[in-house]
Amino acid sequence: MTQTKIPVDLLLASLAEDAERAQVRAQKASDVLLDKLETDIAVTPYDVVYEEDRVKLKHYKPLGESTFNYPLLVVYALINRETMLDLQPDRSVVQTFLNNGVDVYMIDWGYPTRKDKFLTIDDHVNGYMDNIVDFIREKTNAKKVNLMGICMGGTFSVIYSALHPEKIKNLITTVSPTNFDTDQGLLHIWMKNVDADKLVDSLGNMPGDIMNLGFLLLNPARLMIDKYVGFMENMDNKSFVENFIRMEKWIFDSPDVPGETFRQFVKDLYQKNLLIKNELEIGGNRVDLQRVTMPVLNFYGKFDHLVPPGACNLLTSKVGSTDTRDVCIETGHIGIYVSGKSQKEFAPGIVQWLRDRDIDAEVRSQVA
Amino acid sequence: MKENDADTPLSMMENWLKASTEMWEASLKMYAGAGRSAGAGEPGQRGGGNKLMDTWPANLKALQALSAAMSEPDALEGLLKGANTLPEILMKMVQPAMEGLVHLQKEWMEKAGRIGKSTAAYSFENLDQEAFRAWSEIYEKEFRQFLNIPHLGLTRFYQERMSEATDKFNIFQATMAEFISLLFLPVEKSSKVMREQLAEMADQGKLPEKSKDYYRIWIKTLEGHYMTLFKSSEYTEDLCRTLNALSEYAVARRKILEDALRMLPVPTQKDMDDLYKEMYILKKRIKDLEKKVKRTESPTNDR
Repeated sequence: MTQTKIPVDLLLASLAEDAERAQVRAQKASDVLLDKLETDIAVTPYDVVYEEDRVKLKHYKPLGESTFNYPLLVVYALINRETMLDLQPDRSVVQTFLNNGVDVYMIDWGYPTRKDKFLTIDDHVNGYMDNIVDFIREKTNAKKVNLMGICMGGTFSVIYSALHPEKIKNLITTVSPTNFDTDQGLLHIWMKNVDADKLVDSLGNMPGDIMNLGFLLLNPARLMIDKYVGFMENMDNKSFVENFIRMEKWIFDSPDVPGETFRQFVKDLYQKNLLIKNELEIGGNRVDLQRVTMPVLNFYGKFDHLVPPGACNLLTSKVGSTDTRDVCIETGHIGIYVSGKSQKEFAPGIVQWLRDRDIDAEVRSQVA
Repeated sequence: MKENDADTPLSMMENWLKASTEMWEASLKMYAGAGRSAGAGEPGQRGGGNKLMDTWPANLKALQALSAAMSEPDALEGLLKGANTLPEILMKMVQPAMEGLVHLQKEWMEKAGRIGKSTAAYSFENLDQEAFRAWSEIYEKEFRQFLNIPHLGLTRFYQERMSEATDKFNIFQATMAEFISLLFLPVEKSSKVMREQLAEMADQGKLPEKSKDYYRIWIKTLEGHYMTLFKSSEYTEDLCRTLNALSEYAVARRKILEDALRMLPVPTQKDMDDLYKEMYILKKRIKDLEKKVKRTESPTNDR
């Protein structure tokens, strides 16, 4: 048997170097961590212009005269918070919209409590969302609004657009699941087997912390180990630490999901996949995707492990609209909003797409 | 047995019982004397007198009779014989329980020893589920039945709920332990794969020099193992079982809390849920009516 040659001297020298570097880093890190850190999120100024129960409508203060005929309503998911679109000053989707003259409204779903456990998808879509859309139309004198949905908020937006197409000018879906019959994402595999009735009957609302734990378990090696190793390696870098803490603040700010909404979302969508089959019923009405006749822009992430491409890319072929576009960005579920690359591709892309369609139908026919 | 021997337990017992009989007799006489001197007349003729005092003579007579009967040589001998056989009876009672415990421990050790041994690297398809569920099985087979013994009396429902919560908690704990052990498997497997990889690299003289490179290999291997595990049907089943156990425990725990809360001037969760549901239905009706009124007032509102 031949003796294996292990370069012990090199390994020891490398370890010594690492230890030295770690010591220097730890000294600098203590200065950074004890210093005043700018870790506030969602700092772009806004007014709360509408309130109903726990739900608020934010209207971001325009930087000048709006250059669009139609205001934009952003609908976030019920999981985590809408603050992600305004996470840090140089990486803010909201800021990009405002800089380009978009009149931005955003729904803050708030923190559901036990009394909200009976709220269904119908209450969110035909209740809160419809009231908000009517409020914006009345306030801005616009006949229609542009609707942009994020993740589960995108699913709600698709349902809303099918039920109230007369109120929506353009529909933008971003990382929004509409086809749930895919095994590309672990969430889709797990949700098919979860007993939603048992969970909702025992827990009331679905606790945000349990869902967050589930998301961490999608990739524990990266999300529970490697991420913090990365933090340790960069904790002498003030800007890195500030951004890291901003992200931590956002990611663990998880409101509970109203029980009945969770039950319906899991059973009718994840387990029966009724939306894409045009079989979903909301508030006694069937959701027919053929009624989505407005222009549709559909963004999704190639490496999204929560809402994989297979869950997003069927929508445009199922809607009634003839003006549809799919955009697949080489990033993940959150990266699409916060990564440096997306800042150039994502929000500016939406602004341009909206600008191209901001013209009234009548005017468009006259121009043509 | 020598009956008159003062050192034997029998004669000691006999003497003690005799003294006891005499004591009860004296007490009875004292009581009768005390009653007469107080001019209270015969028991039972005192009208609204002390009823407790009336029961005394009967009790004292009964105790006297008991002591006298016990001091009879035959009865005394029988009693002592019974006392001698007591340890034997106890041993007979304990023996099967001890044997059962040893058997359980043996079974548990055998099954626990197999945990994680039956699967190869990057494979979670043929997990030894029986080994993981050893404790659950033993609990369900051997211990759970004691919690299911029917409860009796006024507080039976409270006791039943307490037993149910204990049962659900045990099941949740066991399922959770199983789930956690499953989550730990990739760590174990990754370390093994990492060792093998390093040995191979060492053979080829390609061992990395930087510690960060070792970490990278490990984290990549770990991630791969987790992905394989998470995609397995065994994991999904285990996850669902754990969530179900959590749900059942939460319900059982809430029932106990509700029992406790009913004693206090605070509403229970069920009370609040009923109220919330009523509020929800009323609010929904009001909102619908408001919308209808708005539409009636301005029919052109829906642009």
